[in-house]
Amino acid sequence: MVREMESSRIRCNTLLPGVARGTALVTSQPICFWGGLDPKTGTITEREHELKGQNVAGTVFVFPTGKGSSTTSAILLESVRRGTAPAAIVNLKTEPILVIGAIIAEKLYDCIIPIVDRPEQDPTKVIRSGDWIEVDASEGEGWIHLR
Amino acid sequence: MFLTTEEEQSLQGENGEAIQLAMSVLVKLGEMYGADRMIQIENVHVDASSYYGISDAGMEFVEKLAGTGATYKVPTTLCIASIDFESCSEFGVSEECVEKQLRIAQAHSTMGADPTWTCAPYQCGSSVEFGQRIAWGESNAIAFVNSVIGARTIRCADFVDICAAIAGLMPEFGLYLDDERKGSILVRLEDLDTRQFTSADYAALGYYVGGVADSLVPVLEGVSKSVSVDQLKAFSAAASTSGSIGLFHISEITPEAKNLDEAFGGEKPSETVIFGEDELREARHSLATQDGADPEIAILGCPHYSVEELDEVARILKNKQVSPDKQLWVFTNKCGKQESDKKGILEKIAESGAKVICDTCFILFPTPAWELGSIATDSAKMAHYAPGLGDFCVSFLDKEQCIESVTK
Repeated sequence: MVREMESSRIRCNTLLPGVARGTALVTSQPICFWGGLDPKTGTITEREHELKGQNVAGTVFVFPTGKGSSTTSAILLESVRRGTAPAAIVNLKTEPILVIGAIIAEKLYDCIIPIVDRPEQDPTKVIRSGDWIEVDASEGEGWIHLR
Repeated sequence: MFLTTEEEQSLQGENGEAIQLAMSVLVKLGEMYGADRMIQIENVHVDASSYYGISDAGMEFVEKLAGTGATYKVPTTLCIASIDFESCSEFGVSEECVEKQLRIAQAHSTMGADPTWTCAPYQCGSSVEFGQRIAWGESNAIAFVNSVIGARTIRCADFVDICAAIAGLMPEFGLYLDDERKGSILVRLEDLDTRQFTSADYAALGYYVGGVADSLVPVLEGVSKSVSVDQLKAFSAAASTSGSIGLFHISEITPEAKNLDEAFGGEKPSETVIFGEDELREARHSLATQDGADPEIAILGCPHYSVEELDEVARILKNKQVSPDKQLWVFTNKCGKQESDKKGILEKIAESGAKVICDTCFILFPTPAWELGSIATDSAKMAHYAPGLGDFCVSFLDKEQCIESVTK
């Protein structure tokens, strides 16, 4: 696989500000949180998903977008409650409902999950699962720092 | 996004913690969808109501809001629960689930919700009218209220509905706007006599339409004026299951489609698809995971059956008994149950050994029946979601066939 190494950071659009770092968990497949992510454990359970069996807890979870369920916010909120949520989320295009879940999680459990989308480079091509990365999202602009 | 002084104050927390939280969610939602302003809404249907759906975190959220003294500013109905409140112990739901569902009920009630516990509030408890701006959750209810009643709501996700009820506001985007309500794809029914359609046929039609239209507004041509409210309900539930349909038009039937021209807002359809006998057969076939009918349980009432549908069930059940090794569960709401009780319908159904279950839905009602291997249903939504519960085989049949498959 060819990796574009020239850039060590990627500019993105901030949806929910905050700073978080962790091991990247990367997929190019969309995921449906409802029925696709077990909030008890943080394990991905979606049938036939390439990340099935992997755990999102504490990772910087990089996936292209969600697959519509109106219950996404409830699943994210429950995983924050149980401490199994990702540390940060990077999407190509974020579903608004995911952001709603994260806003409520912040108010309810004092836990900030920075969310960024529309990166200038496709992160699913530049970042590999296991890479240590940082999401630095402020109101104006967001950055993914690759280490 | 433009905010009035009062809205800005609410966002800054001057009107309390709950309203601040609600406003921060609604403003963020509006920014993400490019809304220009907030609008006042007149009614809310809260989907974040069942313990199995929203889990402990959702319960803690509504309890926290209720604890801060928050109240729902507009008439607010509740979607289904994870229990039948009048027979909590009958179906083997865990004590934990019962206790936590009761806590959710208490929190919603403290904030002033009407405990309708139904996915079909348009048939029980809601008096929403044409043109009203509302904020509803639950996909079948959203599609029905937008399309059949002509009230306006976006597809509210969990917790957005609660925030809307607390603030009495929604950001204005999507289906609140005239332009977004125009049809864009035409589905023409050909060589079909829809006067002979059953509810399951309408469900199959809806499932097909949701699949081809996805998030566009479909317009149907060729549906008989004899279509019933219950059939439109079956269609709404199916179309919003296979696609993200929040609104559809049926020419000469639904209120924003006096004719095709009005349905498309004077424009031309972007695409025309034909639905005929082959499509109907394929759609029905695609909803089943098995041919024939040898189910252990038949599930009816998704969405909740009305009193008319319960009456039909009672008539089909006449002189029949549910087979000893099989079960028939019919889901409804308080309105359906109370009305049919008065008319002696409930008694007739009970005599056959079938169960009428209130306030809940098979999918969010955690009972040992989830361990069964095969179900029959007349609902496209149930047929779509049931296999995800476990290893269910699904027979997709008409109501009458469903009943016959578990009785003798």
